Amino acid sequence: MTTPTPTSTASPLTRALGIVSLVGVGATAWLGLVASPRDRLQQDAVRLMYVHVPAVTWMYVAVLVCALASGMWLRKRTDGWDVLAGAAAELALLLTGLGLLTGSVWGRPTWGVYWVWDARLTSTAILFVLLLGYQALRRYPAEPQARSRMTAVLGLLLVPNAMIVHFSVDWWRSLHQDATVSKLDASIEGLMLFTLAVSFVAMGVVCAWLLVHRFRVGWLERSAERHLLDAALADRRADADPSAGVAVGGTR
Amino acid sequence: MLADVRLVAGKDLRVEWRSRVGLGQMVPFAVLVLVLFAFALDPDRGILTRATAGLYWVATLFAGLLAVQRAFAVESAPGVREAMRLTGLDPAAWFLGKAAAIAVQLLVLEAVLGVGVVVLYSADLQGPLLLVATCVAATVGIAAAGTLYGVLAAGLAVRDTLVPLLLLPVLAPVLLGATRASEAALGAGVDGWSWCGLLAVFAVLYTMLGMMFFGTLLEET
Amino acid sequence: MSLGALVAMTHAGYVAAGWIATVIVLGGYAAATIRRGRRLSLVVPPEERRWS
Repeated sequence: MTTPTPTSTASPLTRALGIVSLVGVGATAWLGLVASPRDRLQQDAVRLMYVHVPAVTWMYVAVLVCALASGMWLRKRTDGWDVLAGAAAELALLLTGLGLLTGSVWGRPTWGVYWVWDARLTSTAILFVLLLGYQALRRYPAEPQARSRMTAVLGLLLVPNAMIVHFSVDWWRSLHQDATVSKLDASIEGLMLFTLAVSFVAMGVVCAWLLVHRFRVGWLERSAERHLLDAALADRRADADPSAGVAVGGTR
Repeated sequence: MLADVRLVAGKDLRVEWRSRVGLGQMVPFAVLVLVLFAFALDPDRGILTRATAGLYWVATLFAGLLAVQRAFAVESAPGVREAMRLTGLDPAAWFLGKAAAIAVQLLVLEAVLGVGVVVLYSADLQGPLLLVATCVAATVGIAAAGTLYGVLAAGLAVRDTLVPLLLLPVLAPVLLGATRASEAALGAGVDGWSWCGLLAVFAVLYTMLGMMFFGTLLEET
Repeated sequence: MSLGALVAMTHAGYVAAGWIATVIVLGGYAAATIRRGRRLSLVVPPEERRWS
């Protein structure tokens, strides 16, 4: 039996997404770092907004995708939804971390400190821990069906949890006037607004590309797990009855 | 259904009463946390008095974690879960019963801790009604969320470190609300009743979520 | 204008740090994911790969 030619999780779709991503990232970089003007108040620090704001926005989208996929799994109980939920959650964790990192780096030249306990940062930090918890649950070795069930409920609960945290922290910080800092100058316009829009789209395409690949990797992981299980069962049967013929490399 | 709830709650509380883990371990633990905070924050500098509400609720939360873990450890012996499933108990009733038992334990703890805080931190209680309402609302929320997340991780050996990681971020708003409301009750804050309202919303929401999902999480693979 | 003043005025260091961090995080994740995909494709038969 010839060894299968190594392929990957690529396909015409991902190649198209990949090209658009590269173009988008390039455009964002040129516009954000070179062509767009400095902000009146923030000076060049505003250029960090072109990575920070898209990251945070798509973070919320990823969390929503995870929650919806989790809900769909609970209804349909098909593998695809579980794999999608896991992929989206991992992407969301990445974006949350990135959002916190870029927000912190932006904060140093503008507020003077790397961290403030303002509403947005605080609730994002809690969301980060929620998503870490999701990963911890997902990686725990358990019966696959049970693990899917637990992570599905956890994933679904991400949305109400994030909303409650966001709302309560927002209210809490609004009681302290000095802690309300708006991230963007209200008068963002012209080329800066256009750059922000481009950065949104670019980040979105990058995230889509990442999600498709990660979904396929998750799908392959699931198949590999199942094949390992089948192989192990086949071994057991062969041990029990060596005279019986066992089909090698049988797939379903 | 109410009878089933009372059944489950009664069983859990009876187990608790006989083993005295709640009284014997949880309460001293929480009081110890308060004492340790006093060591860390130097009572002479006034920080302790200002931080009283927050520290009280942090200690309660940690004790709540213990209560949740204990509640599910009781049923982790092999065969117990299957036996309970076979009784045909409505999962929602099972959830409410377990949550109720945890809530009762927490309320007892909070009462004891309240005395501790008055004695150790020289707190003076002013708004008793708000304080009681806050304690009840926060406790129901902690118990409901704790029971839901407790059963979520119940089958796992790593339960002991996983449940705190999952539960504490979820309970962060409860800590926030309970502290702000308690501060108002102690005369140092505003909007006490609004925060208490938030706690009530959280409690109702998690009670409903628990009743919805407890059955799913108990499913046989 | 000295380099120090120029860097301070343009916050170049911070902007660079933020952008480079983003590229590293997203790029690194992309590379890791692709690599995992390639490695797993060796183990899983082609029928299970319904996308290429």
